[in-house]
Amino acid sequence: MRHTIGDSATGRRADWRVLSLGLAAILLAGACSTSSATPTAVATAATPTATAAASAAPTAAPSAAAGNITVAFNMGAEADPFFIAMNTGAAAEAKALGVTLIWQGDPSQYSPATQIPIVDELLAMHPSALIISPTDPDALQPDVNKAIAAGIPVVCVDTHVTDLSKVLSFITGDNEQGGSAAADAMATAMHYTAGQTYQVVVGESSATTTTNTARLDGFKKQIAAKYPGIQIMSVAYSQSQAATANTNVNNWLTEFPNLKGIFAIDGTNASGAAAALQAHNLVGKVALIGYDAYATNVELLKKGVFAALIAQDPAQEGKMSIDAVVQYLKTGSNSGIQAQVTLPNIVLTPTSSADQLSKYTYPTA
Amino acid sequence: MSSSTEQAVAAASPPEEPPADRVRSLLANQQFALLVALIALIAFFTSRNSVFLSSDEVANILADFCSVILLGVGETFVIISGGIDLSVGSVAGLSGIIGALAMRGMVGHQPEPLVLITGTIVCAAVGLGIGFINAALMNWARLVPFVATLATLGAAGGMSIVITGGAPIGQDSDAIMFTQAVFGPFSYPALIVIAIVAVAGIFLHYSRYGRYTFAIGSSAFAARAAGINVRRHLTSVYMLSGMLAGLTGMFIYLRLGSGAPTAGSGAELTAIAAVVIGGASLTGGVGRLTGTVLGALIITTVTSGLLISNVEANWNQVAVAMLIAASASLQALRTASRQQS
Repeated sequence: MRHTIGDSATGRRADWRVLSLGLAAILLAGACSTSSATPTAVATAATPTATAAASAAPTAAPSAAAGNITVAFNMGAEADPFFIAMNTGAAAEAKALGVTLIWQGDPSQYSPATQIPIVDELLAMHPSALIISPTDPDALQPDVNKAIAAGIPVVCVDTHVTDLSKVLSFITGDNEQGGSAAADAMATAMHYTAGQTYQVVVGESSATTTTNTARLDGFKKQIAAKYPGIQIMSVAYSQSQAATANTNVNNWLTEFPNLKGIFAIDGTNASGAAAALQAHNLVGKVALIGYDAYATNVELLKKGVFAALIAQDPAQEGKMSIDAVVQYLKTGSNSGIQAQVTLPNIVLTPTSSADQLSKYTYPTA
Repeated sequence: MSSSTEQAVAAASPPEEPPADRVRSLLANQQFALLVALIALIAFFTSRNSVFLSSDEVANILADFCSVILLGVGETFVIISGGIDLSVGSVAGLSGIIGALAMRGMVGHQPEPLVLITGTIVCAAVGLGIGFINAALMNWARLVPFVATLATLGAAGGMSIVITGGAPIGQDSDAIMFTQAVFGPFSYPALIVIAIVAVAGIFLHYSRYGRYTFAIGSSAFAARAAGINVRRHLTSVYMLSGMLAGLTGMFIYLRLGSGAPTAGSGAELTAIAAVVIGGASLTGGVGRLTGTVLGALIITTVTSGLLISNVEANWNQVAVAMLIAASASLQALRTASRQQS
């Protein structure tokens, strides 16, 4: 900013303006951090704002007074409803066990480039333990090694680093099983009968999202094994945009007039596909299987727009990861801690009980 | 471009080239070349899959076209004025979300038209506001347009994530129904968008406001010397661009029935691509809205065409990139040959 306004005549006045602008920006940042703090009440107490963490290099230790154990939790993207749900589980368990939780990650970008600096900073605070969802299995390996070398135990949650040999535990949802369950749910919704053919399509987020790929693998394997009449006609990408997913589905509905099913593999595809089916009056005629139990998706499930929703259990993943590190820190041994925990994905249908629907709905802002 | 508008701002532009004969000027006309390209694309995709010309598919293309062209119109004004507005995509997203928040409490309790009118006003107001912030950053903080709108691009995109927490806002099935085609492939929102584009075109090419925009883009210094209040004019240009981005946000809400957290991100580049393919110069003072319309049509035709011919989705970006390069090169070559003659 300084360079563009540094002309001599108006320099002084411009400086004053920049100052007031900076002040406004700080106020705004403050406002944002308080509003995002509401769902993370316990966590943010000892946490600098996410934006500040990315730029400045604070070495201030977390308030160690709040207990002897401080757990640093670094997720993929803080604003993702999946991780917000994970936070509720982790924060509740941390409070119950009386440990301090530092919840810190990039606000919205799921990328190793933004994750690594944040992990470095967390390690500089010397937490008692690190829980991490690596956005890339290789790129985050050095940070995990560094933590272990410094005597900080590491748990991977949701995703993992390549070398898990020294990691205390890896807790994850089973995406391949979720894809397989989606194939079953779709076959049921289409009243699958052997000998007939069914045209279906798949909406992915991008070709490089590993969770999406695992879900699609599971889906394809189950179809090959049990439903030979189902033909996957096309796979398209939403690039994490519901509007793009909507365009894709609109085009498919024109291209394949006999389309029987859509597997919307993530939240953006689910929203876009649901809107397209409603606009074309095809609700109930095309079996839509969605992923991720966003509150809006659950509402649409109740209306029958989705034939089924595959839900993960991020809150449970968060809780179990806290349990694992606390047990290790208190007993000093890893006996009784499972090296890998795989939680099954849950199939929600319009006939699921209200209790089950509310239990698995991801909390929202 | 040898248009009447350019003569109107002749005071601020380089001298006119000698008049060329009709056939030559037709062939050299970028609009004409674009029209030929569009027809060729449609013929090609129809030969790949005959449903391409069906009313359903035209409706699909129109739905995509509407969100691109609304941003494209604002961007055309901005680029002709010699600036750039990188914030439009994020502004569309944020407006749609704030509009969705405003509408959320009303859906189901108030008549749907009232809900949608409220949402439209809120979306437009958010866009106008951010357009004003863009102008303020340029006028008072003395940022260049690129930096000012880069700042609001980031701020608006971030706010969208903060407000939504990453999940869609609202669930409005009646809004989705409003986007169904009613006259052939045309839906009500599509007709409204087409009307907005037509009015904007007249405004840009046949009004004093438009002439001022061209004049400032050709030479802000000369425009100021001629008595145009450049700051005030540019403020209104960025507010117009912001407002159209806000309306795009409302359009996306109608398509999805909710305010989506990532809506509009990256859309600024598609809008700029449409303007550039349409023949406007990023240095300002040159451009036609019909060019942007054709540019947007070509982009959305290619997107849908590749999808419907089952081409791997990632090729779409490559195809649009090639179109930009070809179109910009066409314009540059023409300018070069004109200077030689």
